[in-house]
Amino acid sequence: MNTISKTILKYEWKTFVRNRYQVVMLLASFVFGLYAIYYGQSEIDAQRETIVTITDLEDVEFSSYRDSFKGALESSAQEQMHDIASRPEFAWFRHGYHAILPPHDYAALAIGQRDLFRYYYRLTGMSLHYQLFENELANPVNLLAGNFDLSFVLIYLFPLLIIVFCYSSFSAEKENGTLPLLQVQSVSIGKIILLRLLFYFTIITGLALLISFIGLFASGDLLDAENRIPAIIWILGVVTYCAFWFALLFLIISFRKSSAFNAMIAAGLWLLFLIVVPALLNIIVTTKYPLSSTTLAGLTRRTGLENENDENESREVIMEFLSHEPGLAASDSLIHHNMPAKAYAAFTALKDINSNQEVTRYNLEVEKRSRWTKGFHWLSPSVNLQHLFAQVAKTDLETFLQFQKALTHFHGDITDFYFEKLFWDHPIQLEDYSNLPSFKIPPTHSNLYGVGTSLAKSGVMALIAFLVGFIKMKNQ
Amino acid sequence: MSKLVRIAKNEIKIALREKLVVSLGVLISALLGIALFAGYLSYKQQERTIIRTQDEKRKEWLGQGDKHPHIAAHYGTFAFKPKTVFSMFDFGLDTFTGTSVYLEAHYQHEFMFRPAQDHSSMIRFGELSGALVLQVLLPLLIIFLAFASFTKERESGTLRLLISQGISFRALAYGKILAYLLMLLVLLTPFLLGVILLSQSGVDSDALLDMGTRLLFLLLLYSSYLFLFISFSVWVSLKSATGRNALLTLLTFWIFFTMLMPKALANMGESFYKLPSMRLFKTQIQHDIDNGLDGNTSRSVRMAQLEKEFLEEYHVDSIQQLPFNFDGVSMQAGEEYGNKIYDHHLQNLRGIFHKQNRLGSIGSLINPYLAIQHLSMGLSGTDIHTSMHFEDEVEEYRRNLVKRMNDDMAQNSKYGEFYEYKAGKSLWEGIADFSYRSPTAIKAISNYKVELASLMIWISTILVLLNQVDQKKKTPL
Repeated sequence: MNTISKTILKYEWKTFVRNRYQVVMLLASFVFGLYAIYYGQSEIDAQRETIVTITDLEDVEFSSYRDSFKGALESSAQEQMHDIASRPEFAWFRHGYHAILPPHDYAALAIGQRDLFRYYYRLTGMSLHYQLFENELANPVNLLAGNFDLSFVLIYLFPLLIIVFCYSSFSAEKENGTLPLLQVQSVSIGKIILLRLLFYFTIITGLALLISFIGLFASGDLLDAENRIPAIIWILGVVTYCAFWFALLFLIISFRKSSAFNAMIAAGLWLLFLIVVPALLNIIVTTKYPLSSTTLAGLTRRTGLENENDENESREVIMEFLSHEPGLAASDSLIHHNMPAKAYAAFTALKDINSNQEVTRYNLEVEKRSRWTKGFHWLSPSVNLQHLFAQVAKTDLETFLQFQKALTHFHGDITDFYFEKLFWDHPIQLEDYSNLPSFKIPPTHSNLYGVGTSLAKSGVMALIAFLVGFIKMKNQ
Repeated sequence: MSKLVRIAKNEIKIALREKLVVSLGVLISALLGIALFAGYLSYKQQERTIIRTQDEKRKEWLGQGDKHPHIAAHYGTFAFKPKTVFSMFDFGLDTFTGTSVYLEAHYQHEFMFRPAQDHSSMIRFGELSGALVLQVLLPLLIIFLAFASFTKERESGTLRLLISQGISFRALAYGKILAYLLMLLVLLTPFLLGVILLSQSGVDSDALLDMGTRLLFLLLLYSSYLFLFISFSVWVSLKSATGRNALLTLLTFWIFFTMLMPKALANMGESFYKLPSMRLFKTQIQHDIDNGLDGNTSRSVRMAQLEKEFLEEYHVDSIQQLPFNFDGVSMQAGEEYGNKIYDHHLQNLRGIFHKQNRLGSIGSLINPYLAIQHLSMGLSGTDIHTSMHFEDEVEEYRRNLVKRMNDDMAQNSKYGEFYEYKAGKSLWEGIADFSYRSPTAIKAISNYKVELASLMIWISTILVLLNQVDQKKKTPL
């Protein structure tokens, strides 16, 4: 770095520390960042607590089943418990298993859709669709307001900070009458502006990175295999995003208009990227791919056989079900035994098989919507970054759709476990309790290609803005 | 008066020269048009599906064949949340409240399917609606229009000239305010006509009561809100030394009011008053049903008590001798006990909602954006109160349906019989179809007294401030 650049930077530093307003703004942003980290943590901690509570509930439930095998059954309540524990005709619809999607360590930094979707389910062998669509309790007013998490601070507030620091980089000189002084120097005015922006870029991006590191450290072990790549992506996202806004400001400045004009244009662009583009895309996707959950609502109805005492009806239902599950077909005498339970189990399983198509079709529609919107993310680097953050923190739509698919498999495991015992008339033994179905989250491989392209989109936008600004600046 | 008009005329001429302002104005009208059109489309799509599906469910209910009333009560039916006409203007909470619920005996299901669940996380940026444009984007246009209204005159020295000609600051300020109001009026008239036209045509049956009054209130509220923003911007310009300062001050207010504060308040509410999880909520309800609200009247104790009461009342020794099916009576008693417990827990839950939302309500006293947001949702029938009112009506309907089934079972079947007794279509027809009517406009607005007070306080404050501008040493030249 030559001496002139050094001198310029030195004076930038002096004017920066003298400007109390700017220092206060940086401090305020830092405090907002800390609050956001705290808030995100408290939200996700509350979810973690819920997960502990429900896991405990499940432990209590199953240990009471286990305990009923030990010792003599003295009271009727004990006998009842043992029946539920050992007789498949009761157990299949009473034993409830939790399928839990634990939060990623960084979910606290980008809550995404995690406050909207369910992250745990209690499943029994009953119809899946009767159990799948219940919502978690939430205050819709707060859902609408959204979360003040770190992703919000970085995506919404940092561009504003950049605007406030840079919008008058050139125009202020003109307005204060110092421009002629600068013009007689040996360095070009363009270079001075660039150095000035670089100076602020270092400060503001530095602050964004500092808050990010605090957040990343506070939320989990950075070196953990689950966290390493997400942390790197997060950091890259932050740097690219800041670079984009600085490049944009540089472009605005290069037109050499008045401070007020620059501020208006910058505020207008902020509005465009953070409100107009996403709001417009959302409304277009809603009307372009209209989706009505009314078709799914019907699936949640709890129906049963017309008459549980009608043997013919029961047999018919059981036979139809067994044609789907020939492995469960036991001898005719076995079907006779416990017939109502078998018929009801067969009935709900058939219902799921029949409505599966409807659910799949619906989910495909949701995916179609999400694909369509993704195609337009490049229009707004803010939307792009929000999506990236949600992806990294596993709080995006895809994660929850995956979870739903995993639930379907898990429900299959549960019914397999109980139906085998029910249809073959095997009582549930104590040993079976060490072999209960358990929920496993399917391994998700991070989509590095997707991440790369989404970073590249913002990067290219930044580069274009910068280059146009550079040429414009040079030509004047 | 003519002075005022002259000032206004001049101001409009100047404003129309600003290309940036004009293009933002054009953009906003375009966005308003798109918002209204898309809102209308989405309203129509939803309304049609809901009416169709509700019809289907009604047919299913009527055509369910002969069966035992209790099985019919489990077969149940569905209720779908109707879209209100004004939801095409203000989506409010519609994206985040459940849209349908399954109604059956014994259980209060919660509303399912929040439309936001069918979107990627981009939905959290918000959706383009007329309300969003008027509440958030239009104030920005106002800021751009008005921030330089005085500073420019001051910086170019024309302010001294004007004042020396005997024009008061007050007259100048009102002249400028008038000019901006007129410009907004021109900008908004097509949109306004669109809203009126669309909300009058093609709406056969709407859940919203008092449409006219609601529209009038909305008009009044938005006019006050925009007037407030204009006057405030002009006042800030009047008090600022440079245009740059005025602009920065106004933009800071705008960001703070529309972005930071609403989110921060909602989040604080969430942190201060924690909601239980659904699993815990349901577990507690089940626990209380099993053990009684006092913790030691189990279901069997309650049933034994009920049996005793009836045997004594009818002077018989066994329930078989009762002139009706005791199963039906006990079923209904169980239902009512369950309802009592559910109401108790729901009240607690709503108490938490209420406390959480109260923060936003109090916040509206300093933030007019929050005030207009709440009032607008309330009048459009897309707020939390209408949503809860709807839920209550649905629950009432469910209870009535289940009671009718239980009563029929008690009256027409014998104790110990189940599959032997079948009721038919005449019973199903006895249950009227569910149709929803919202609370009246006055009722809707009465939930937002604090918000109304906020707007009034803001407007009177700004009027007082504007009236004081001519006092000596208060305003820089």
